[in-house]
Amino acid sequence: MATPAVLLLILFVAVPFVAAIGFSLYNVRLGDPRSPNFMGLEQYARILTDPDISAQFLSALLHNLIFAAVVVPVQTALALGLALLVKKSIPGVGIFRSLYFLPVVFPIALVAIIWRLILARGDQGLLNSALAFFSGGAFGAQDWLGSETTALASVIVLSIWQGCGFQMVILLAALQQVPGELYEAAELDRAGPWQRFLHVTLPGIKTTLVFVALYTMILSLRVFDQIYVLAKSGGGLNEGATRTVMYEAVTAAFDQNNIGRASAISVVFFVIVVILSLIQRRATRTQEG
Amino acid sequence: MLHLRRSRHVAATIGVGLSIALAMTACSGGGSDSEGSQDGSIEVWAHTGQSAESEALQALVKKFNSSQEDVTANLTLIPEADYTSTIQATSADELPDVMEMDAPTMASFAYDRKLVPLDDVLSADTLDNRIEGVSESGTYNDQTYAVGMFDVGLGLWGNKALLEKAGIKDIPTTAEEAWTVDEFEENLAKLAKTSASGKAIDLGEANGFAAEWGTFTTTPDVWSAGGTLIKDGKAEGVINSQENVDALKQWASWKEYADPNTSGTAFPEGQTALTWTGNWMYPTFSEALGEDLVLMPLPDFGNGTKAGHGSWQWGVTPAAEGNTEAAGSFLDFLMTDESIAAMVEANAAVPGSTTALEQSELYGPDKPLEMFANNLASACSSEDVTEECIAVARPVTPGYPTVTSSFGSALLAIWGGADVKEELDAAARAIDSDFSDNNGYEDE
Repeated sequence: MATPAVLLLILFVAVPFVAAIGFSLYNVRLGDPRSPNFMGLEQYARILTDPDISAQFLSALLHNLIFAAVVVPVQTALALGLALLVKKSIPGVGIFRSLYFLPVVFPIALVAIIWRLILARGDQGLLNSALAFFSGGAFGAQDWLGSETTALASVIVLSIWQGCGFQMVILLAALQQVPGELYEAAELDRAGPWQRFLHVTLPGIKTTLVFVALYTMILSLRVFDQIYVLAKSGGGLNEGATRTVMYEAVTAAFDQNNIGRASAISVVFFVIVVILSLIQRRATRTQEG
Repeated sequence: MLHLRRSRHVAATIGVGLSIALAMTACSGGGSDSEGSQDGSIEVWAHTGQSAESEALQALVKKFNSSQEDVTANLTLIPEADYTSTIQATSADELPDVMEMDAPTMASFAYDRKLVPLDDVLSADTLDNRIEGVSESGTYNDQTYAVGMFDVGLGLWGNKALLEKAGIKDIPTTAEEAWTVDEFEENLAKLAKTSASGKAIDLGEANGFAAEWGTFTTTPDVWSAGGTLIKDGKAEGVINSQENVDALKQWASWKEYADPNTSGTAFPEGQTALTWTGNWMYPTFSEALGEDLVLMPLPDFGNGTKAGHGSWQWGVTPAAEGNTEAAGSFLDFLMTDESIAAMVEANAAVPGSTTALEQSELYGPDKPLEMFANNLASACSSEDVTEECIAVARPVTPGYPTVTSSFGSALLAIWGGADVKEELDAAARAIDSDFSDNNGYEDE
């Protein structure tokens, strides 16, 4: 039964990964018919020690971690809040559910372009003109995407906006699975809304919450599209303040035509992700146990 | 029952796997099938440009196919954003017989053995008839690898009414009259004051300075200041020269006058009085502004005004082996005056042949876009920029992808306020390290 899945895994995950390890030892250019020259561990040495390349890689890694550290709790909490809101069976609640879910079906490149208009620098930007309007002109126009201090925060906000609806739907399903009798029993015990939430709702959806957090973590680590679109096609995104590891790998491979370095970055990142997942697994396991 | 269901499941999975595999081979095999080559049919790849441009190309292919019985051209259009990487990722024997490419990528494809020399493939008439800009951007290692139906120009477009409103009467029309950088900056300040939006110019920020546009649009500043990007395969001391640092500092200081143009219509709607872009915008601009539209040379940083050039061009791949005659006849057809005229009517580009240029409605003496044609008549290479030459091609080297991506990243950071020298130093190190990894891209 598992054979086809294993075959596909081998074909699309294991083979490319082993190939990546091989490529990372050579200087490979995409499309070059010459046989690639062997570089040994040079690509790894550069990623870890070369002042330019390793500084970029480390800052990319840092951005990934900041992104995950903010997005995982904030997005999960927000999704849970939304799910609680739209769980109520009031008329028209379906419309709200669809509205909140809508951004999920937008491709992230489109989301980036929408937010590029919202966050545009200058007075024409939607956010800037709204802020100027509400502050009576006291709040000057900001370069949200270009400024070093707000660039990463802007990317985080638009990513949460886009991803939140999906987690909401999963949590909504979990909420609807919590037996109604438990709430009734809690009410008989004179538990207030907050106590019901703490002692009935949260335990009831705990496994789903852990899943959602894990899933968001994985998505946060591979964040790439929105940064690429905003930096490369005119968003004016501060590249230095927002580059992520995936961005480093993809630009090395396809903009600089350096498959060797891109592979080395991917392999190093793989090791880091494995370590992170092991830590996370241990943490959730002790919690469950 | 359970068994039946299971085997159905397996069959479905295998089916999905097979169709994925089939889809993949269909994608990669889209190029040449040698069987087709024998009966005179050729595969052609082109990028999906502006719709008028793609329609013109489709009409030309149709016209070619019905004009004779020996050769049939099958055109495949590929979206522009993925075009170059598609060719890069396709091995030489999977490529079509004839393909289009952006000028600065030609050297890298020739180096990767994805192009064959055209000197014996095209007719002598076609080769002799090319304008200088086209022949220069099609030449690598002293051989012709590509021919272009047209070339492009970069200029400063103005809205005469708004310029006069700001009290600017001295509007340059020829290269000699170009504003100096100081005059240009004075005018920006004046225009920003009188403009409704508070901004003076659209510098094409919305096209992305980190993308190819950045290199295309800012290298004229660098050349005009006496600098360039690389020389003899070295970037250190060249891309980060004092001339370049000064020029790009000045460029970044224009940010306060630059409209981010998120609507895409800042200039035609009169939000800004100036825009810094190419000939392809002429149809839109002239329709919006009519008589008020003026075309000016880019500002002079001291070494004479300069302008970028180099556009989409055509080449023949090794897949056409044994069938180069058919490929050649197709390209000869594309390079006829009638074909070129049909194409440039769609995109307002500079006609790529001398005779087509002479008949042009837009580029002749006293015609609206004459300046672009004059610029291209004095073209030079980026290794050897003189005060006299105006149109300069981006570096013709197989290492161009690294050059443009490192320079583009530096530009984006500089525009965002980063230290110019530091960014260019980092770009120089990245480029030199890539060249040394690849033995200087020696093409033996």
